[in-house]
Amino acid sequence: MLQAEPKPISDEELAKFYEFFYRKTGIMFSDNKRYFVERRLQDRIVATGSADFRAYFSSIRFQNSVNEIECLINSMTVNETYFFREDYQFTALVDGICPDIAENKKPGDAIRIWSIPCSTGEEPYSIAIYLLDRWSRADEFDIEILASDIDTRVLASARAGIYGERSLQKLSNSEKERYFTFLRQDQYQIRDEIRESIDFSPINVMDPKQIQNYRNIDVIFCRNLLIYFDDISRRQAVEAMYECLVPGGFICLGHSESMSRMSSLFHPRKFSETIVYQKDVSSR
Amino acid sequence: MALVKRRDGKAGDAARENASAGRSLNELLPALGATDAVSRRQAARELAAHPNAAPAMCGQLEGERDASVRSVIFTSLIKLKTRTVVELLAPYLRSEDAALRNAVVEALQEMPEDIEPFMDSLLSDPDSDVRISAVTILGALAHPRVPEWLSQVIQSDPHINVCAAALDCLAEAGDEEAVPLLEGLAHRFPDEPYINFAVAAAIRRIKGE
Repeated sequence: MLQAEPKPISDEELAKFYEFFYRKTGIMFSDNKRYFVERRLQDRIVATGSADFRAYFSSIRFQNSVNEIECLINSMTVNETYFFREDYQFTALVDGICPDIAENKKPGDAIRIWSIPCSTGEEPYSIAIYLLDRWSRADEFDIEILASDIDTRVLASARAGIYGERSLQKLSNSEKERYFTFLRQDQYQIRDEIRESIDFSPINVMDPKQIQNYRNIDVIFCRNLLIYFDDISRRQAVEAMYECLVPGGFICLGHSESMSRMSSLFHPRKFSETIVYQKDVSSR
Repeated sequence: MALVKRRDGKAGDAARENASAGRSLNELLPALGATDAVSRRQAARELAAHPNAAPAMCGQLEGERDASVRSVIFTSLIKLKTRTVVELLAPYLRSEDAALRNAVVEALQEMPEDIEPFMDSLLSDPDSDVRISAVTILGALAHPRVPEWLSQVIQSDPHINVCAAALDCLAEAGDEEAVPLLEGLAHRFPDEPYINFAVAAAIRRIKGE
């Protein structure tokens, strides 16, 4: 028997949901996403067997439905990754963050950048390309790029470094020519010298033993990971990253994420068009 | 020389932390008072595995000046999440230290089942500031009795600021059933323009007008 379509969601119910979802995740929807949000909410209402929006909202707001919150967030976010995604943060890296870090380094010192979660590798390779092409002082330092993910399948793909046109859509032809080898139609492989310079490793950020292997990091790119965590896991993850960073180190979060909603351990800094978060310079 | 592969496996601090993992309660408690913040954070993190450490961790909060250590202590207390922890944290709702008070509110919001037996008492505390903190806890508490507790405040708390805090929460989470309650609140404080304004705004918001 077909399940009846749930009642339509009213404007005020949707407004209430937008506010709740923003407080929970930092993701703000506006009415131009109304159809998208409503469709997915209706799906969750049906999937949980809730009678209507009111019953569903009550269950996520007043019960501790961690699993359902996770399902809800998954359904509301689109996991798509590609080269130079949210590139204003890479601009901030080369125009602001790295020059700031370099002020306290000597030529030949290491600058350590960690991409977590690195998924299939687009983010750490984008960081590498940006640094090589757009930071004039890159040659003065030993830049180590670490890239980690909990999913070993995506790590294998990241190590292979093979991508289709869609992943490379934001790269210029010159960048494609300089940093990729054409394999066959719709398949490009990142050049070996870049591929081999990046340290890919599996990690569960919630495992203290694993995270102890990551120390003296200058910059962490941790974009669109923490929104999937419940509050206590988010606290633990942020505190774990605090331990990983050098004093004065930086964290870059996803565009919808805000550290001020998770922890007061970091200070916001504005570079280029984005806000990043810095561990206190005098901290230990 | 630009991009290089990572040269070392782990740095000194990590090696030290590895060596100290799995310590007993008796080893950890003195470390909670160590002079360096790294050791205190590490001890606080490990104490999350020791429910008997709650009194020591809660006791450390007042004198602990390093925000990063405080943060880890709170995380460990949230992981322990017991009635004892709630009992030990609740007195800090009276603290003069606003950062500590706010951190306690946030921690207690993470313990919905354990705070339930204490909520009535917090909401009837003689100190209106404590009652405001209790309402603030309700603002993000995932517990089915939240609407009931908020209604109770709206209907009977004598202090305008406590009621205003509850009104804010209801405006955000309430539905049309809350409207008569809110109207009742306006009648309880007829000479307070702010309450009348806030009630009208909350009702408009709930009705989507």
